Amino acid sequence: MAERGALHPWLMRGLFVALTGALVFVRLLPLETVPPTWAGPDLFVALTFAWAVRRPEYVPPLLVAGLAVALDLLFHRPPGLWAALTLLGCEALRARAPGLRDLTFVADWAAVAGTLVAMTLAYRLILAVMMVDQPPLGLSLMQLVSTLIAYPAVAALSHLVLGVRKRAPSDNATPRRLS
Amino acid sequence: MVASDRGQSDDYLKPLKRLLVGVLLICLIGLLLVWRIDSPRVERFRAQVVDRVVPSMDWAMAPVTGAVNIARDFRSYQRLYAQNQELRRELQQMKSWKEAALQLEQENARLLELNNVQLDPRLTFVTGVVMADSGSPFRQSVLINVGARDGVMEGWAAMDGLGLVGRISGLGPGTARVILLTDTSSRVPVTIQPSGQHALVIGDNTKAPLLDFVESTDELRPGDRVMTSGDGGVFPPGLAVGQLIADAGGRMRVRIAADYERLEFLRVLRAYDRPRIDDPGGLVAAEAGNG
Repeated sequence: MAERGALHPWLMRGLFVALTGALVFVRLLPLETVPPTWAGPDLFVALTFAWAVRRPEYVPPLLVAGLAVALDLLFHRPPGLWAALTLLGCEALRARAPGLRDLTFVADWAAVAGTLVAMTLAYRLILAVMMVDQPPLGLSLMQLVSTLIAYPAVAALSHLVLGVRKRAPSDNATPRRLS
Repeated sequence: MVASDRGQSDDYLKPLKRLLVGVLLICLIGLLLVWRIDSPRVERFRAQVVDRVVPSMDWAMAPVTGAVNIARDFRSYQRLYAQNQELRRELQQMKSWKEAALQLEQENARLLELNNVQLDPRLTFVTGVVMADSGSPFRQSVLINVGARDGVMEGWAAMDGLGLVGRISGLGPGTARVILLTDTSSRVPVTIQPSGQHALVIGDNTKAPLLDFVESTDELRPGDRVMTSGDGGVFPPGLAVGQLIADAGGRMRVRIAADYERLEFLRVLRAYDRPRIDDPGGLVAAEAGNG
């Protein structure tokens, strides 16, 4: 998908918000009221990271922080902590995005995996220090793993369907010339 | 030309952006600390947010949930014959139970009349529909569509037709969150019949919550009935919770009586504070003072 003028990033940010809304909707459907034996992926984090690596300008910090806090409140998590970690992870990946641009997808995946593991550890550690009731360790690990497994699918979907692709070097040389 | 302009503006904006991220982080951590220090205030705020957001999605949620449930029911038609046989067998058993229940009901009515017993008439309920679940595999709760506007208060018990489901925690004007017995933060004081021991039912994110703080575990048998004891004044006493089962490790757990597979309508029991008796009464006190 080529650049489509100055409006385009705003359209994509709108799309990001809409996708997050859809995720919340699906998660809140009262289908499973029995405690699950497995934990599904945190698709919001996967989506944010996939976009932060590919097109950082589509996921500005203010937007990520706002949505993450809303999700914390809606999903009954300790408010602010997971949002702060998501923002930190997003910024870390944003900083590494220019370096990851020329590498393969595996490098990209590894970077996301490292960030996510650090986030999960920090989350549990901080909750332990603050003496908050924690979910079982197994479920946290399962969510981590399933998010990592879901990441390639989210990235592929973003790439193929939504047109969120890494900026090619040629794009960089002549930015916005086409607009 | 265009490129160099952009480069310059990027250089100029970078510290600003970094500052923005820093400020955002401080705000988020601040929110976390405020939540830890003054939890009720933030939880009230959370309830307000949920109350604003979830009902606005309800128009779409109800049909989607309905459609998924229909699809699931449809799948169960595939084993219609086996189900039919099973139901017939259960019906046979139920008939004998029904006979026994009728006899017991008559006997109970007779005895109550003999003793002139007054049952608590104030145990009425509000019924709500389940709108949404917690949305997280780590928290076990549901949102129902009755709230402060309907007179619901924090801490009231929620039941389905069969047994205790959970307690109200988090109240918006039009929604209330019911923390299920399976949630890790759920603790319910219970008595176990027939041994009459007191214990706590502790949610641990599994299907059958754990039973703990029992005086003597020897007197417990799988199949014993578990009901709320009313200790601590949170729940009215005598609500059915479930039955004891022993898990693989030999620890006692509670198989919950409420049908957690299909939570649809919940009754919120109105539990007003019972009058507390904490002085010996004027007559006795006066005599004690004189004598």
